[in-house]
Amino acid sequence: MRRILVGALALILSFAPLAFGQTKSAVTPAGGEDWKALDHKWLDSERTGDLDYLEKFFADSYVLVLANGQSYTKKEWLGILRSADRPTLLVLDPENIQVHVFGNVAILTDHTTIKGHDSKGNSLDGEFNVFRVVIKQNGSWRATGVVMNQDLTKK
Amino acid sequence: MTRAYGFAAGIVFLIASGAVALGQAPKKPAAAGEDVAATIAIMDHIWLDAAHNRDAGTLNWLFADDFVEVHPGGFIVNKQQQIEQIMDPQRTLNELHPEDIQVRYVSADVAVLTDTTTIKGTSGGVSYNGPQRVIRVFVKQHGRWRAAGAGIVRVAAQ
Repeated sequence: MRRILVGALALILSFAPLAFGQTKSAVTPAGGEDWKALDHKWLDSERTGDLDYLEKFFADSYVLVLANGQSYTKKEWLGILRSADRPTLLVLDPENIQVHVFGNVAILTDHTTIKGHDSKGNSLDGEFNVFRVVIKQNGSWRATGVVMNQDLTKK
Repeated sequence: MTRAYGFAAGIVFLIASGAVALGQAPKKPAAAGEDVAATIAIMDHIWLDAAHNRDAGTLNWLFADDFVEVHPGGFIVNKQQQIEQIMDPQRTLNELHPEDIQVRYVSADVAVLTDTTTIKGTSGGVSYNGPQRVIRVFVKQHGRWRAAGAGIVRVAAQ
């Protein structure tokens, strides 16, 4: 019995350094959350115009900062998505999703490809590296901030 | 100068952690009466002053271990890389100050603010010359506020 206990303890200790050495910056779920799915659901909802979801998912504090520095509150951005002048988004695809979890807030970074056009037909195509902030409120993760940057890292 | 910012940082630490020191329950670190928004606005200034003055000690104290920042152009850096860029002797920085600080969200252990930071200089190979729109994220870890990350984008000329 003692030998089994010692063996079990040794096994636990052998894995401990791996557990403590893990980075939080991983696509794999942390705390049971599937961050990749959360990011895709977010952008899919913007692409398809699922405004009911976005209304719930965006915290009241939500602020979107586009790549030109223009910023929009939740009310302003949802107003645009509801309007006749809403953009047409054919592709809105996040890749290389990295997550940094700090308890009740998480910062996601991703590379987002956009293909589409505005209501006047002007192209919105581009490659962006995006900073996203989500907060936990009443047990649910909600978006509170986005900063987009045109990806110039490969140029 | 480093000593001055270390002192300022110490003051903020005392303010931020005062509630804990006074015996507040550890599960509610943002005690009643703590003005988180004011503390965070001060932290914003300490952050940029330390960056302006190449104060690695304060930045190391301020940044959470898993800190992440996205710079104009989409360049993503971690804590070590950010401090290395700030300490880089090649870096030139003539102006760095925040304006229009708005604390957008506050809870017991999270604060999110936006500001418009005017930067003039070159850092990390990126040229800055004018206003940048910024989202900054702060978290309370072990009784004190730390910077978790920032997203920065250049405001396009009108």
